[in-house]
Amino acid sequence: MTTLLHASSLSGGYGGEEVVRGVDLSVCEGECVAVLGPNGAGKSTLLRLLAGILPTSSGSVELWGKSLHSWRRREVACQVGFVPQIVNFAFPVTVTEVVQQGRAPHLGAWRPPSPHDHAAAAAALARVGLAGHGGAAIQHLSGGERQLVLLARTLASEPRLLLLDEPTAALDVRHQLEFADILRQLVSEGVGAVLVAHDWNFALRLAHRLVVLHHGRVWAAGQPDQILRPELFGEVFGVEVEVLQRDGGPLTVLPRRLARRREESLEN
Amino acid sequence: MRRAADLILVVVLLLAAGATLVLGGPAASPREALAALSGGGAPEVRTIVFGLRLPRLALALVVGASLALAGAALQALLSNPLADPFLLGISGGGAAAATAAYVVLPAAALGVVPAAAMAGAAAATGLVWWLARGPLGPSPTRMILGGVAVNAATSAAILTMLALAPSPRLPGVIAVTMGSFASASAGQVGWLVPYVLVPAFVLLLHGRDLGLLATGEESAAALGVEVGMVRRRVFLAAAALCGGAVAFAGVIGFVGLVTPHLCRLVWGGSTRRLLPRAALAGAALTALGDLVARRALAPAELPVGVVTALLGVPFFVALLRRSA
Repeated sequence: MTTLLHASSLSGGYGGEEVVRGVDLSVCEGECVAVLGPNGAGKSTLLRLLAGILPTSSGSVELWGKSLHSWRRREVACQVGFVPQIVNFAFPVTVTEVVQQGRAPHLGAWRPPSPHDHAAAAAALARVGLAGHGGAAIQHLSGGERQLVLLARTLASEPRLLLLDEPTAALDVRHQLEFADILRQLVSEGVGAVLVAHDWNFALRLAHRLVVLHHGRVWAAGQPDQILRPELFGEVFGVEVEVLQRDGGPLTVLPRRLARRREESLEN
Repeated sequence: MRRAADLILVVVLLLAAGATLVLGGPAASPREALAALSGGGAPEVRTIVFGLRLPRLALALVVGASLALAGAALQALLSNPLADPFLLGISGGGAAAATAAYVVLPAAALGVVPAAAMAGAAAATGLVWWLARGPLGPSPTRMILGGVAVNAATSAAILTMLALAPSPRLPGVIAVTMGSFASASAGQVGWLVPYVLVPAFVLLLHGRDLGLLATGEESAAALGVEVGMVRRRVFLAAAALCGGAVAFAGVIGFVGLVTPHLCRLVWGGSTRRLLPRAALAGAALTALGDLVARRALAPAELPVGVVTALLGVPFFVALLRRSA
């Protein structure tokens, strides 16, 4: 399998403060890697470093074996689709206009959209199940529908690698399952994905490998059945969990209570 | 639908221009002006129409287009519907410097007032940029807050100078602070037109990038926008357009703020589509505003900034109610 992205000893952060420290991570074609960890662990920062949105302080990122620094931003955007946590729409825009923004990296400054660009945007919108909503104002959609539109905008650029920053954080269970189905389908077609998530069970439905971040460093990494042990949750999150698997399905994490260490610190 | 709207915009622009030339003032009647425009008429009427009204119209068109284009670009750049050259302190900086020049300089040196206005606008731009700086570059929120601070400071400076200004200089100061095309000349137009071409081109070049920046910096970067470079270029280009406008016409409010919103109602949310149309609509609105300023209380002339504000405020309130 082709390696799409390879990060080595990657560090970076904001204003001289390192939030991510020495992270190694790689993603192959048709593989989904979930990045998990407590709040402030550096998950979103890692994703921005991988996308080249935030400059690295040390280490390297390679896309298709070529250093990220040697890519132009537009070239990266044609290959790598980044779905941010939040997108603000300060002005009224229709769903179609938002999805067509995904074609911008292919168009440059002056070229108007071609029939292929329109077709790619329409296909992306159909793929997320919102084909009939093209004329609606984005401001009038629910949070779940809006998140699906953002996924469609990313898919319209026909990326080969997806970087998703907590895409289901604001979604109800139905929209979460819809989102998971679309992502699973894309990965089965050969798209690579790095999924930052808080919801372990959502990540376990999709991920081939997990990377657990704690204080900006990789605390554990590997296939879910290799690294998922209750002690991991005690060490990283300070909670006691039960890890279940039923009928050969995906592993499920069931939180039980705060770990003793955490309880003691709360009492003090 | 949009093609029809484009056509209507061009027709409105031509009508506004024609009305300004024909109805521009009491010195020549509409019939005499029409005769002059069709190649006939008395020589003095031709002088009025081509020597006075035409440069004034051309200046109003260029200034209106500059302000509306700068406003549309700044609103997208800062993801803020309230952003315009006035809010960001750029107009205020130009007006304060021009006012200072009027108050301080001897009469023989008043030709440098436009240069002072441009220098003031540039200084205000630099100051806002400096105030907005942060570890990841200037942020839109800090730029707006910095602009508000610079605007407040320049307003205080202008009011102080107005209080101290010798009375013969007051008309010039009022023209700067409230906007006027009364001193328009072919020479000014000949200077301003080539000057605005480069910043206008820069803004149109980045139209698509601006549409993406309107959804936030991270979102724009993810879609291939070199955020830092585009932000620098667009801010400087918008400031340059505004500086040129203030230099020759003073502060004309609401054109940069309201015109982009008006155009969004007709042409939708695409910034790339919006920018050229906002420029044409701003040109038409400013020309009409100047016509109203000249005719409403003729033979007295209102400051054009007062007219654009009077026309702009009700529209803005209606827009606010509609969005609620």
